[in-house]
Amino acid sequence: MKVEITVNGEKKIADVSPETTLLKMLRDEFDLTGAKLGCDVGDCGTCTVVVDGESVNSCLMLAARASGSEVLTIEGLATFQKLHPVQQKFEDLGALQCGYCGPGMIMSAKNLLDKNKSPSVDEIRDALAGNLCRCTGYTKMIEAIQEAAKEINTTNAL
Amino acid sequence: MIKRGKGMACMWYPIGFTVAANASAATVKVNTDGTATVLTGTVETGQGALTVLGQIAAQTLGIATDDVHVVSADTDSTPMDTGAIASRTTYVTGNAIVLAAEKAREILFEAAAPLLNVRPEQLEAVDKKIRVLSFPDRFLPIDKVVAHAENTLGKPSIGSASYNPPTVEMDPETGQGKPFNAYVYATQIADVEVDDETGEVEVKKITAVHDCGTPINPMLVEGQIQGGISMGVGFALQEEILFKDGTQINPNLTNYIMPTSLDMPELEVELVDNYDPTGPFGAKGAGEPTAVPTAAAIMNAIYDAVGVRITNLPATAEKVLAAIQEKNKAVA
Ligand code: FES
Ligand code: FES
Repeated sequence: MKVEITVNGEKKIADVSPETTLLKMLRDEFDLTGAKLGCDVGDCGTCTVVVDGESVNSCLMLAARASGSEVLTIEGLATFQKLHPVQQKFEDLGALQCGYCGPGMIMSAKNLLDKNKSPSVDEIRDALAGNLCRCTGYTKMIEAIQEAAKEINTTNAL
Repeated sequence: MIKRGKGMACMWYPIGFTVAANASAATVKVNTDGTATVLTGTVETGQGALTVLGQIAAQTLGIATDDVHVVSADTDSTPMDTGAIASRTTYVTGNAIVLAAEKAREILFEAAAPLLNVRPEQLEAVDKKIRVLSFPDRFLPIDKVVAHAENTLGKPSIGSASYNPPTVEMDPETGQGKPFNAYVYATQIADVEVDDETGEVEVKKITAVHDCGTPINPMLVEGQIQGGISMGVGFALQEEILFKDGTQINPNLTNYIMPTSLDMPELEVELVDNYDPTGPFGAKGAGEPTAVPTAAAIMNAIYDAVGVRITNLPATAEKVLAAIQEKNKAVA
């Protein structure tokens, strides 16, 4: 079946079988391998992308279901000149170790900051609850998200 | 009722085993643009080893860490390394890199000495310069010295070395000896809340104070400790591989439960100032020891809160509640 979606601002069309998940389509049809296949059943969050402003586990969403939607993946955050503030702060603070959870974690964080300009620590913990990390204990991620929020707010105030 | 408790646990952990061969080899070459390339057989798994090893080479050569390119983990092209195991990389591989970089540096000192009218042992490598000790104005840029050594003297700046913590036989009679070359120490304190009607334990805070010698990269050490604590929290309260008839019955993340961002408490991490003369720039190691005291500290905190000793992990709500009921029965 034909699926037409907008990914990172670009219109894309793919011909996929009905059981294809959004994650599989992003990775196999569009070569967007940032979102990772961790568990394939909605437990780990490594496949997190933003669909029409909501962060979703793309392993749980059928590609057909996303038809007509605007999808944002980790590949859509940085420009050649500049990382997204969340990415930059993750890097500056050493918030990732092996990095496998990173694309999903950063998409969840980005989506949180789009909706909540100055989240509290508890709100950040809530937003990351669906993204498992085996390496870091989450502490530096929470700090990085707070720093990114500050930076986004000062840039917007200028 | 919610009962609060505080528990503490201390540990030591060995770094650089000496009971068997435990070698790391490394090659360091300095390039004519003043950068350096390090070849190491060890593996980066997110712990930051390659950053730390690059820092160690940079410090030895007096150049910037960004100017060091680390090539790793390719049996075709990189030297032998016992492995990214046993919290040994900073210590053992780091020592090999210091030795290799010193050899490459020696070639530069010998090339620069006549040009600066001094003996090689009067030189140091700092700020991308080969400089006369105590005379900061008498120097040559390192890239010029590399080019001179390579193109005029025919002596490229390269060094290969290996380090093996000296193997020590254990006494066959007593089983005693010196099984490791260095040791690290830590104390962790857990603050918990236990619901004595449900047995549920919530860790509110872990304070962790660790010795790893001189940390080469404090930010990465902190990250190691925070990650280790998250594994310790999972070990203490959640994680368990369950078997039935020899088959694991919880082989995925739906039923093998590990800490999420909501389970992790506030973490306060501190590094003790220390220096180990046998390690690279005073460093020892920081990987596995980070997870060692966490579960013990949490169990001690549970005891402090509700007076029961949990000796079988994980301390699930069911187990804690059963222990509390047992204790109440005994009292009645
Ligand atoms: S791969 Fe989608 S939640 Fe794990
Ligand atoms: S950094 Fe390794 S899983 Fe998060």
